[in-house]
Amino acid sequence: MNKSIYFSIALVSLILGLIVAFQFRTTSSIESGVPSGREQELTMEKRQLQKDITQLREEVDDLTAKLEEAGKGSSQATDAFTSELLKIRLYAGLTKVEGPGVEVTLDNLAENARPGGNPNLYFVKDEDLLKIINDLRGAGAEAIAVNNQRILATSEVRLAGNHINVNLTKLTAPYKVTAIGNATTLKSSLEIKGGLVENLSERITVKVEERDNIVIPAFTGELRFDYARSTQRG
Amino acid sequence: MRLKNYQWVFALMGLVLGIMLAFQFRFTREIQRTESVQRVQELSAEVNQMRQNHEALQTQVNNLRAELDNATPLNPVLRDELEKAKVEAGVSELSGPGVEVTLSDSNINLRPGQNPNLYVLHDEDLLKVLNEINAAGAEAVSINGQRLLATTEVRCTGPTIVLNKSKRLAPPFVITAIGNPDTLENSLKMKGGVAEALQVWGIQVSVKKIAQVTVPAYSGGIKFEYAKAAG
Repeated sequence: MNKSIYFSIALVSLILGLIVAFQFRTTSSIESGVPSGREQELTMEKRQLQKDITQLREEVDDLTAKLEEAGKGSSQATDAFTSELLKIRLYAGLTKVEGPGVEVTLDNLAENARPGGNPNLYFVKDEDLLKIINDLRGAGAEAIAVNNQRILATSEVRLAGNHINVNLTKLTAPYKVTAIGNATTLKSSLEIKGGLVENLSERITVKVEERDNIVIPAFTGELRFDYARSTQRG
Repeated sequence: MRLKNYQWVFALMGLVLGIMLAFQFRFTREIQRTESVQRVQELSAEVNQMRQNHEALQTQVNNLRAELDNATPLNPVLRDELEKAKVEAGVSELSGPGVEVTLSDSNINLRPGQNPNLYVLHDEDLLKVLNEINAAGAEAVSINGQRLLATTEVRCTGPTIVLNKSKRLAPPFVITAIGNPDTLENSLKMKGGVAEALQVWGIQVSVKKIAQVTVPAYSGGIKFEYAKAAG
């Protein structure tokens, strides 16, 4: 009888001690949650910096070689200049490009498939296209076009009545967004669970297809800069 | 059933043992934590070093580009073409008249039960504002000093926004755009426009016309791994 009492007291105290222990543990694990997030952030930045540095080194090498070439004579100088121009035009979206990628087709929901309500709800909106373009950019797309209108840094995607204007050109549904990049990454970033395709599919039809080779045309509009001046040369 | 002396001793021993366990756990945790703090510090120093390295390379690239410009024979047509391509590619620093648009989170005091998520800025809001700015004919745009390229994404990650793959920006977001200041201002402040729509959620959009704004060049490497020039 006596024995069982003191055993149970000892047991209760031990449990009490353990509860205190776990209390401590929880508190300290909350505190240590922050640094791991920071670490992840830094690792992400480091990875991007590494990539940037490698690319900048290549750029330095490339420019140095061109400069050396340009010093040799006037015809070499013209060649060097032209090849630099071609490179910059490629980055600017002024060159027709091809490569692997995805083709995303967005269309208004067919009339017989609409659950009812305001029909405007089932039309592709400018926002839908903006979000698709943004997601593709985030997944590393290098060139994007909507119905063969190349998307530049300054391209607008704007609803105007029943059509959407891109680069001041009228486009109508179905909208075909083409993007060059890692096809698998592009596709999965759109089709991720809870992602854009799942969200949009409630209102419109969205189809994503991987393609081995996609051709994206150059920007065809006029490049006019009436306000912006380069600060490097007066 | 009165407890005897030796029973108290047992109780005390049990308690002490439990607390010892507690401290054991704590110490283990603490060691782990210091380790991770140290690692973050090391990583942070490394990243800083890389940032400097990056900046030096960027300056070198800019200087080389300028040198190449000067070394090549003056063909005004080609030169003009290169200048324009550079503006569109985002590799030159630009200045000109334009607007400065500041977006900050809601100033509405939330009542309990209201969803705070509705009252903070989302990437979508920024996308819409940027789209409006583009539609108003902006020639070059940056957010918090980050140049917008054709490949720039805007991603919401918690309270911050990520652009150009890894550039993390914190609010308030200041969008600088070069273009016709009046057109830019009007298109944002238009009745039923973006600014009005965002004000419903208390998100502050202020537009300031400025005679001379500067939009920096993109600071990073550009390289296409998949897209190749076609015919």
